[in-house]
Amino acid sequence: MTIALQVLVSGLAAGGVYGLFAVGYSLIYRLTGIVHFAFGDLVGLGVFTTLLVLAGTTPVSRAGATEPRFLLALLVGLLLCVLAGIATYVGLVQPYLSRGSTVGWVAGTAAVAFAIRAAIGATFQRSSYVFPDPLPFHDVGRSGFVHLGGAQVQARAFFVIGLAVALALASAWFLERSRYGRGLRAVADDAEGARFVGVPVELLVALAFGLVGALAMIAAIAAVPGEAVNANTGTLLGLKGLVAALAVRFGPPLHAFAAGLVLGVIEAAIANVHLGGWQLGPSYREVLPLAFVLLLISLRPSPEALEERE
Amino acid sequence: MTVAALTRTGAEVRRAAVEARARWGPGAWLAVGALLLLAAVPFASLPGVRVDALANTLYLALAATALGLTVGSAGLPSLGTGAFMAIGAFTSALLVARSGWPVEPAALAGAAAALAAGVISGGVVRLRRAFVAVSTWLLAWLVWLFLLAFPSISGGSQGLILPQKTLVGLEPTPTVHFEVALALLVLTALAIAAARRGAPGLELSALRQAPALATALGVSLAARRLAAFAASAALAGLAGALAVQLQGVADPASYDPFLSFKLLVAVLLGGAAATLGPATGIAALGLIGLVAGPLARLLHLPFERFDTAVAAILLVFVLALGGEGIVPWLVGLVRRGERPRREAAAPAPPAAPVANEPVLRATGLRKAFGGVVAVDGLSLELARGETTALIGPNGSGKTTALRLISGASLPDAGEIELAGRDVTGTRTASRVRLGVARTLQTTSAFTELTALENVLVGRGVRRRYGGLVRAALATPRARREAGAAEDAALQALALVGLERDADTPAPELTSSQRRLLALAAALATEPDVLLVDELAAGAGAEELDGLAAIVERIHERGVAVLVVEHNLRLVRRVADRVVVLAAGTVLAEGSVAEVAASSVVQQAYLGTQRL
Repeated sequence: MTIALQVLVSGLAAGGVYGLFAVGYSLIYRLTGIVHFAFGDLVGLGVFTTLLVLAGTTPVSRAGATEPRFLLALLVGLLLCVLAGIATYVGLVQPYLSRGSTVGWVAGTAAVAFAIRAAIGATFQRSSYVFPDPLPFHDVGRSGFVHLGGAQVQARAFFVIGLAVALALASAWFLERSRYGRGLRAVADDAEGARFVGVPVELLVALAFGLVGALAMIAAIAAVPGEAVNANTGTLLGLKGLVAALAVRFGPPLHAFAAGLVLGVIEAAIANVHLGGWQLGPSYREVLPLAFVLLLISLRPSPEALEERE
Repeated sequence: MTVAALTRTGAEVRRAAVEARARWGPGAWLAVGALLLLAAVPFASLPGVRVDALANTLYLALAATALGLTVGSAGLPSLGTGAFMAIGAFTSALLVARSGWPVEPAALAGAAAALAAGVISGGVVRLRRAFVAVSTWLLAWLVWLFLLAFPSISGGSQGLILPQKTLVGLEPTPTVHFEVALALLVLTALAIAAARRGAPGLELSALRQAPALATALGVSLAARRLAAFAASAALAGLAGALAVQLQGVADPASYDPFLSFKLLVAVLLGGAAATLGPATGIAALGLIGLVAGPLARLLHLPFERFDTAVAAILLVFVLALGGEGIVPWLVGLVRRGERPRREAAAPAPPAAPVANEPVLRATGLRKAFGGVVAVDGLSLELARGETTALIGPNGSGKTTALRLISGASLPDAGEIELAGRDVTGTRTASRVRLGVARTLQTTSAFTELTALENVLVGRGVRRRYGGLVRAALATPRARREAGAAEDAALQALALVGLERDADTPAPELTSSQRRLLALAAALATEPDVLLVDELAAGAGAEELDGLAAIVERIHERGVAVLVVEHNLRLVRRVADRVVVLAAGTVLAEGSVAEVAASSVVQQAYLGTQRL
C-alpha cells in the first residue's frame, strides 16, 4: 500500500512531464503529418540555456536559484526554445513537406536532434549537472520529502503533477475555445481547406511548433531539479513523450497527456513493485514500455497508420 | 540422375558465361581494375593509413549498402539500421566470448538474430512513412537503452572483450578482415543491383511511387517491403557481427542511435537510388572525418561530438539543395540523354475463340457507406469473350460495383464466384492472381518508370521465380523468366498500340496514352476478367475508333470485359450486353438496342420531362 502510493505519486509526476511532451508530438503530427524527432532535444536546449545563463557551465549549488536572475534565465531559455521550434518548422519541415519528401524532414529533424545533443555535450562536459531549484521545496518536510501514510514522497512531485495537469487542461481549453486554437483545428482537419478560406496556415503551424516546445519546457524545468541532468535528459524525455503519443496513435491532446501519465506510472511500477518476491527492477523501466509500444505498432497497426492503398 | 543435373548445371554456366561476355564492356574492365586496386591497398603499407580503420569502414559500407535497398528502392526512411548491427554484434560476441563458438557460425547467428528482429519489427513496413521512421527510431533507442540497462549482457561500460579467433582459417589480422569485408561488400552490391533490376526492385519502386496502382496490379505491399526490410536487417547484422570481431570488443557506447542516423546520412549523401551510393556516402563521411579531426583539435572540441555535428550539418545541406546524392550526380554527368531503342513487337495472335462460358458471377452485392447505400442487391454475370458495359447516371454506384468485384472493398452482403470458386472474402492482390484485373479511373502511372516497366509491374503476379533471393542471385530460372516477362509486356503494349513507346518515360506520354498504358499493365496480369473504369474519359471523337478496336482485340482473346463508361458512343460500339445501374440497383439489362428502347432507362437518363 505504502509502495503503491509512492509509485503513484512519483509516476504521475514523471508522467505529467511525458504527457506534455506527448501533447507536443501529437499536435505537431495532427497539424503536419510529421514526427518531430528533435522535439526532446529542442526542449533540452532550452533547459541548458537556462542553466547557462543562470550559472555558466560550472556546477551550481541549489542556492543559486533564488536570485532574481533565475527569471531572466528562464525567459531566455523559453525564448530560445520557442524560436528554435519555429526555425525548425520554417527551415527543415515546411520546405520538405511542400515538396512531399518524407526522407527530407525525417533526416532534417533527426540531424537537428543530434546536433543539439552534440552541442550540449560539448559545452557541458561533465557527466551530469544539478539544476538549481527555483522553488523552496528543499525546506518542505524532511529535506524535501513528506510522509504520507508511511510513504516517503517528494514534495516537488505534487507541484509537478498539479502544474502538468493545469498546463494540459489549459492547452486543451485553448485549442477548443480560442481563435488561434480554432484555426489550428481547422488546419489539422484540412490544411488545404483552411488555406482556401484564408487561415494563415504557415504562421499558425510555425507558432504551434514554438509553443508546444515552451509548454514541454516549463514542465521539464519544474521537474528536473529533482534529479541530475545531462545532454541526454531532453532526448530521453522526448523519447518517453513519443512513446506515449504513439501509444494513442497521435490522438487528441488530452488522450496523449493521459497516455503520458499512464506511462509514468507503469515505469515507476516496473522499477519498484515487488510481487511475491518477484520484481522486474529499474533496468526494465526504460526498455519494457518502449518494446511494448513498438510491438503494438508493428503487429496491430491502426487503419489510419497504414499506407494508403486505394 | 547426378549426371543429368551436372549436365544441366554445365549448360546453365555456359549460357551465363555467354551472356556475361555479351554484356562485358570497358565499364566492367574498369570496375574489375578498381576492385583489384582496392584489394591491394592493405599490402601497400601506405603512410598514415590504418588498415583496421579501413576494414571497419568497409563493414559500415556493407550495412549502408543493405540499407540502400530499404531507403532507395522501397522508399522507407529507416532510422534503425544501427540496432540491427548491434543485435548482430552482441549475438556473435556473446557466442564467441561466452560459448566458445568459432567466428564464422557466430557471425551467421548474428545475421540470423538481426533477420529475426527485422521480421518481428517488419510489420511497420505496411505503415505510412512517418510511422516507419518513428518505429525504426524507437527501435534504435530500444536496443541502445537495453544494452545500457543490462551490463550482464553487454559488458557494461567496458564492453565484452573478445578472444582472438581465426577468420576463414587465417589469423584475424586487419588485412584479412579488410579482404573479407571487401568481398562481402562486392557480393552484396552485385546481389542488390540484380534485385533492383529484377522484379523485386521494379515492384518496390512501383509501390513507392503509387501504392494504390501497384496494389491494383496485384503487387503485395507487405510481402515485397518486408523482404527488403528483413534482408537489409540481416546484412546489417552480419556487418555488425564481423566488425565486432575486428574491434576485439563489443562496446555498447558505439551503438548509440547516432550510428543509425549516420548510416542514413551516408545513404542519402551517396545517393539512395544507386547501388554504390551508400558505400560512396560512407567513404565521403570517412574523408570528412579525416578533415574534421584536426579541425576539432584546433578548436579544442571533443572529436566524437564534432563528427556528429559535421554529419548532421552536411546532411541538412545536401537535402536542402534537393540533391539526390553523389553517385546519381556523377552518373548524370557521364550519361546524358542516352535511350536504348528496341524493335517494336507485334501483338500475339488471338487464341482460338472460346465459347461464352460464364467466368464471374456476382449475386446480391450490397455495400453501404454510413447510411448511404451505394450498391444494393447487384447481380451480374460476366462471360468469356463477351463485353459488358455498366452504365448509369453519376452516383449510381458504378465505381463501387467495380471496387467490389475487384476486391478493393468487400461487400456487406452478397457473393462473388470466379470460375466456380467463392472469392467474396479475398482482397485485390489475390484476386488479381486469380484473374480479375482492374484499371483505375485516374490516369496514374509509375512516373519514374518507362512504359515497358509500367507494364512489367503488372506482369509480376505471373512470375514464379521473381522473389528477392532468386532475383538477387540471378538464378537461371529467374533470368529466363525475366526475358519471357519482357516479351509478354511488349506484346501487351503492342495490343494497345503503344509498341513504339516501350522505352518512353511514363510522364512523357499523353494522358490518353497513359490510360492505354494502364490498360496494358492490367492486361499483363493475364486476366480472365478485365474491369475497365472510364476508358474514354476525355477522349476526343477521333480517338473512339482506336479505343473500340483495342477493346475488340481484348475481347477476341477470350477475356470477359466489363467497362464502366459514360461515353455511350463507345458503349454502343463495343458492348455485347449493357447493364444500367440507378441508385445502386439494376434498372435494366440486355443488348444495346433493348436497353436504349427501355422506357425506365430513358426516364433515368432524361428525367420525367418530355422533350
